[in-house]
Amino acid sequence: MLLPMPLLRMREATFGTGEACAGPVTLDVERGERAALHVSSAREAAIVAAMAAAVVKASSGCVLIADYDPHVQSVACKRVAALVPHEPFTLNDDEFARYIEYRAELWKLEPRRARAYAAELRRQLADMHEALAYPLIGALIGMPKLLVLDRPQPVYAQQVLAAAGECAVLSTHDDAAAARVFAPKALHFLKAVES
Amino acid sequence: MTTRIALAVLHARLYAQRRIVVYACVAAFLAGFVQPDGLAAPLFLCSLLGITTALAQSPGLHPHLDSCEQSAPLFGRHLARAKALVPCAAATLAVGVYAVAEALRGTPDVAMTFVLVLGAVVPATLVALSATIRRGAPRVLYVAFAACVAIAAYALVSRTHSLIAELSLCAIVAFVALRQYGEALGRYDPI
Repeated sequence: MLLPMPLLRMREATFGTGEACAGPVTLDVERGERAALHVSSAREAAIVAAMAAAVVKASSGCVLIADYDPHVQSVACKRVAALVPHEPFTLNDDEFARYIEYRAELWKLEPRRARAYAAELRRQLADMHEALAYPLIGALIGMPKLLVLDRPQPVYAQQVLAAAGECAVLSTHDDAAAARVFAPKALHFLKAVES
Repeated sequence: MTTRIALAVLHARLYAQRRIVVYACVAAFLAGFVQPDGLAAPLFLCSLLGITTALAQSPGLHPHLDSCEQSAPLFGRHLARAKALVPCAAATLAVGVYAVAEALRGTPDVAMTFVLVLGAVVPATLVALSATIRRGAPRVLYVAFAACVAIAAYALVSRTHSLIAELSLCAIVAFVALRQYGEALGRYDPI
């Protein structure tokens, strides 16, 4: 009998250009799991998060998102994984409504349902600063199976993990303490292999 | 790519860049109203406006839209076509406003000028789009190439007086530029 593949599998995944490099990273994230990855710098955390969400493609090594390879099946990967960038969005209410509608169109969601779900998430994340809540809400309305957070604020960890529900969560951090807040179990605390 | 996605990208980006579009239209209207007769002024001004609106699609100017588009389940070429619509629509609007201003002034052959100018502006705009995902010398090179497209179109019309020749050249350049932009956007890593 074949064992089910993890939702996210990274094997010696590296990214390298002239200026930016990250990895190698080796990890598995199962369905519904909470994992946090501590890396050495903010830049590396951003790159690893983007690799895990198929926003950038690994230069070497292997990344599989629900069995899909981002190099050839990036569209399928992006339907499974959603990236929450570190940078907050400074949007007013009207711009946020437009943002949700735009996301709904790009993900081919039913706009009314997306708006209702966004409003529900906004209520759920009422204690969270709106500039930080907006990217998270935008990512969650697409109903991803894997939520990838780039350096989320540890102070909002409970709200973020509650909003994610049954969705698997991988967060990348440049601070070990913040990583522990998002994945307190030692099993889920992963460290990138030093190159 | 569905029409729904293309319209969504067009709507979101035109709304985010509404000021640039308005300024471009105002500039086109004023120039169209005061300029002397001829093809050079509308062609070069509107090409410049097209290149400017194309460069306004550069990543970083509207981070929430960029982040949305980069993580959206779309192929690079599909996103490229949708994004290419934005500066082309803005530039077409500017050319249209210029034509209206010329018509108000009583300039003859407004329709022909509109077609000739639009024929040059669209490929120049599409070539400039490739500059948006590049930095340094390649970026400057693409902008210079876009300017060269406008100059070549003008030279062709001035020498041959052939609308077909100009439109044929511009159609070929526009097709290649759009393909090139799609390929580049597909390989683009926003790091």
